[in-house]
Amino acid sequence: MKGTILEQLSSGPVYLICGAIILFVGVVCAVFMVRAWKAGIAIGMDRARMKRAVTASASFSVLPSVGILLGVIALSGSLGVPWPWLRLSVIGALHYETQVAAAAAEAAGLPELSGSAMTAQAFSTIALLMSACIMWGMILSTLFNRRYLHRLHGQGDRKAGEKKGGFGDAAMSAMFIGMVSAYLGSYLGDFVSGKGRFAFRGSWTPLAAAAASALAMACFTWLSEKKGMKWLDNFSIAASMLAGMAAAVAIGR
Amino acid sequence: MEKREEYLERYMRNTHRLGRAASLATLAMLLGAPFLIGTVLGAGPDLGAAARGFLSAGLVWTVSSVVEFLVYTPMLGAGGSYLAFITGNLINMKIPCAINAKDMVGAKSGTRENEIISTLSIATSSLVTIAVLAAGVALLTPLRPVLQSEVLAPAFANVVPALFGAMGYRYYRQNIRLAAVPLIIMSLLFILMPGLTGSTSMMIIPSGAIAIALAWMEYRKHQKEGRA
Repeated sequence: MKGTILEQLSSGPVYLICGAIILFVGVVCAVFMVRAWKAGIAIGMDRARMKRAVTASASFSVLPSVGILLGVIALSGSLGVPWPWLRLSVIGALHYETQVAAAAAEAAGLPELSGSAMTAQAFSTIALLMSACIMWGMILSTLFNRRYLHRLHGQGDRKAGEKKGGFGDAAMSAMFIGMVSAYLGSYLGDFVSGKGRFAFRGSWTPLAAAAASALAMACFTWLSEKKGMKWLDNFSIAASMLAGMAAAVAIGR
Repeated sequence: MEKREEYLERYMRNTHRLGRAASLATLAMLLGAPFLIGTVLGAGPDLGAAARGFLSAGLVWTVSSVVEFLVYTPMLGAGGSYLAFITGNLINMKIPCAINAKDMVGAKSGTRENEIISTLSIATSSLVTIAVLAAGVALLTPLRPVLQSEVLAPAFANVVPALFGAMGYRYYRQNIRLAAVPLIIMSLLFILMPGLTGSTSMMIIPSGAIAIALAWMEYRKHQKEGRA
């Protein structure tokens, strides 16, 4: 194949291979979605509620997806466009891909992860390593998902809409609170001690973004609960995120 | 009624079958693609270097993956978790998205209703990501200068803090006492041991454990009050 390595990595056949896998995963998602929708109707769920879940999830996902697109652009300088496109559309995670690609480049004998140093063999080695390192979630899911859920939920076959009661729902909410607390704590820790313990010289932009987003969310919640503007609920998270990101831009300038 | 139960039984059985088949097929394609692209480029992977790299970098992610599986599977249910592990971007998108959808429709964890809402949410989220990325790749040349502009860079670097700010408000106001303790403990830990910021995803475990322990105590207290 002729051309520079980056031209080869962004050539038609590579696009075709990556695009076919993305298409497959897209079809899998569509199949799961249609099945879930039909099952929801079969068990008597309200169509409006299911539609609301779909609309809210779609509006929720646009902004993070644009952020992920930036990851594709960042990696395209060293790995071409199709492979990062595949990795970040399927299985990959924004924070993971750049780290593991750099580690894989080192293992493949490159001085750094860059287009100028890339070779065909180094690329295929890096690509294999990127796939192998993050495959465990799928493997564990394949092997243990059913048994794990069965054990956690007893029979795991509760009737539709049945109020489970018990501790399960509270535990899941608590786990999510724990997750958010870990991240917010890390932003605060980074600001206070990120550049020397108690130096207060770390970046405060993530904290400001989180605070602005929380403030916007508070406004949306007030409008929804006190002014009856329930329709805002579908877009409140996405709009709050925009407020947080706008705050980050204001500080960045 | 019995027919409906039978239908649900079949639905769950087939969800697991389909989930396992899709996971295995995706895995095979992702591991096969580097060899196929290598054939196109005229040089396959160096398996020795890949094995060395896996031992140095891969094992760290293995531990992280086990934690993710144990924590997120109960949150997402069967269909949602199969899809989420196939499509990735769990912390920065799929988990908050599914939790948000569950809250909006008032579904309870562990119910069939939650199973369906979670699957709908993760499938929708994945399809949106696929569509946005496909459009972005098709329009890469005109979009690149906009997305990479210095002015917008802080916005895209702070998508996750903005997301957790909004979600944090929603959850913290429901139970401020429950939220305050893990937040204070985590903040102190990250302040006193700043090196931990590189392992934030692992710190979700102790933070979640503290929150769950507090929620359990509160639950027991309500139960006793209810009986009294």
